[in-house]
Amino acid sequence: MSEPAVEVSNLTKVFSTGLSKNYVVAVDNLSFEVAAGEVYGLIGPNGSGKSTTMKVVLGLMAASKGSAKVFGYESGDIRARNEIGFLPENPYFYKHLSGEETLKFYGKLCGLKGSELKDRIAELLKLVDLEGAAKRRLGGYSKGMLQRIGLAQTLIQNPRLVILDEPTAGVDPVGSRQIRDLILKLKEDGYTVFLCSHLLEQVQEVCDRVGIIFKGRMRREGTLDELIRIESQTAMTLENASPELISKIHDLISSDDAAKVIEEGHPRTTLERLFIQIADQNRKEESA
Amino acid sequence: MSESTTTLRAPAREVPLFSIRRVWTLAISTLTQLVRMKTFYFLFAFAVLLLAIGNFNFASSPAQALSTVKKVSFGAMDLFAWLFAIVATALLIPRDLEDRTLYTILSKPVRRIEYLLGKLCGVLIVIGISLSVMFVVCAGMIQWKEAGYIAEEIGTTENQITEETRQAILLIQKNGFHPELAIATLASFMKAAVVASVTILLSTFASSSLFTIIISVLVFLVGHAHTMATNFWLAESDNSIVVQMLLKLFKIVIPNFQIFSFSEGIVQGATVMPAAIWQMAGLTGAYLVVFMLLSLLTFVDKEF
Ligand SMILES: Nc1ncnc2c1ncn2[C@@H]1O[C@H](COP(=O)(O)OP(=O)(O)O)[C@@H](O)[C@H]1O
Ligand SMILES: [Mg+2]
Repeated sequence: MSEPAVEVSNLTKVFSTGLSKNYVVAVDNLSFEVAAGEVYGLIGPNGSGKSTTMKVVLGLMAASKGSAKVFGYESGDIRARNEIGFLPENPYFYKHLSGEETLKFYGKLCGLKGSELKDRIAELLKLVDLEGAAKRRLGGYSKGMLQRIGLAQTLIQNPRLVILDEPTAGVDPVGSRQIRDLILKLKEDGYTVFLCSHLLEQVQEVCDRVGIIFKGRMRREGTLDELIRIESQTAMTLENASPELISKIHDLISSDDAAKVIEEGHPRTTLERLFIQIADQNRKEESA
Repeated sequence: MSESTTTLRAPAREVPLFSIRRVWTLAISTLTQLVRMKTFYFLFAFAVLLLAIGNFNFASSPAQALSTVKKVSFGAMDLFAWLFAIVATALLIPRDLEDRTLYTILSKPVRRIEYLLGKLCGVLIVIGISLSVMFVVCAGMIQWKEAGYIAEEIGTTENQITEETRQAILLIQKNGFHPELAIATLASFMKAAVVASVTILLSTFASSSLFTIIISVLVFLVGHAHTMATNFWLAESDNSIVVQMLLKLFKIVIPNFQIFSFSEGIVQGATVMPAAIWQMAGLTGAYLVVFMLLSLLTFVDKEF
């Protein structure tokens, strides 16, 4: 296994709020790794510490305890940032610049110039399907277009790691579909993607692995398949099963002492249920 | 999983630890930002003001008229420079934070000092261009009026230029255009640079633009009272340690804007001491370095 793209170890981030001695523990002893080449999703409700974790990884914030590394560089090191493209939550960028000018600005900041920069801009505009809007000012872009120009901006210097904070939030279903396709394309192209979302169903299909974060702590982690599977249970999805067949199956089950039917119905998002279950569990723990 | 089939991306190219090019990119972007905020429109206002005072006959003699035109136009230029420096600088960083462009900029391989320098340079480029344009317009205006008055003076004498006329012309020329006026403009520019760096320092920790603007203006005004403060404290006390410390603190924290005041003399026709120019340039440089370093000190660990 090569060096991990992101390595977060025992990360704790405490905010002191106001003048009083009030503290918010936004991230609580969090550890995880994002392997090079994978798409990793940090999933949790609003306020669970996802953005804070990303900002520490980027060096926009300092860790209260623990550390974050990017391809072996301490976060905050300019060489770490050189390997990262970041799309913040609800990005706006300069409204007075056109799409093309925006990419040019970020490209120059990354040290690109001349025909190399020009080619890269053309390539990225094509990738995010904004060639037609390249000359328009961002003030007139839709939310989905802003998100896509933002995505193009993250890739400008050919970074190895792309960090996306809520890439599909607030975007309509079509726009969100486009963004997910782009993320899959990034993975194909060998990028490592570290994203976060509070919308499980929107990102589960693009993530190789997910971590579920709640109140700053990692609650579950693994591949989607691992997380969803419940070893003691077996699900069967049948097609065109007649009522007679179903009743036969029920008879069979009732003839067995140990087995019983827990649920029956049409399949749906199970990660969401897992998530709700964790939240419930946490609530019980707290009220206990 | 498809990891085996896709090739991972190569490590990024090396980045310079400090890059003037990045500062320049940020400065030009700040310039564009200010231009597209239509800040250059005030130049038209300035031109109108200039035309108005130029064509208004409020003075008894040509020499007085010229002197007034100079005082008003160079006074307006000076006011513009420092006020613009404060307001523009105070708005820029909070605006970047609000737009979240600060996140995307600072998450690129950009150093925080490069960002601050870029903002400062951008504001100074705008002020530099504006002052140059205004200077050229003023210079043209004054020279045109001067020539007009001289022609008038000569026109009144029928055949020979008398001693009286010669004196009148000399007086007009004395109150007319002098190349030294460029130095007065340079002084306005340097003053604006210092006040902009003070504003940057304030906006690295203040959360509201209004607060930054008010405090910057206060610092600017109080900064004209260095001599007064020194005299006051020295007279009032027996030089106790506390007073000495306060005085030192004042002198360190508040830049001495009196180093630029000799430019008012230039506008009124006084000759320039080269020493004053060197002192001004040297102190401006020193103030810029100190205030940018202090800004970096608060900005480098700032969390967004
Ligand atoms: N700058 C800050 N100052 C104080 N508290 C903060 C700050 N940033 C985030 N928080 C708090 O930290 C917690 C985690 O926030 P965040 O990381 O933004 O969550 P998420 O991105 O998962 O929605 C929240 O309770 C939030 O109020
Ligand atoms: Mg967030």
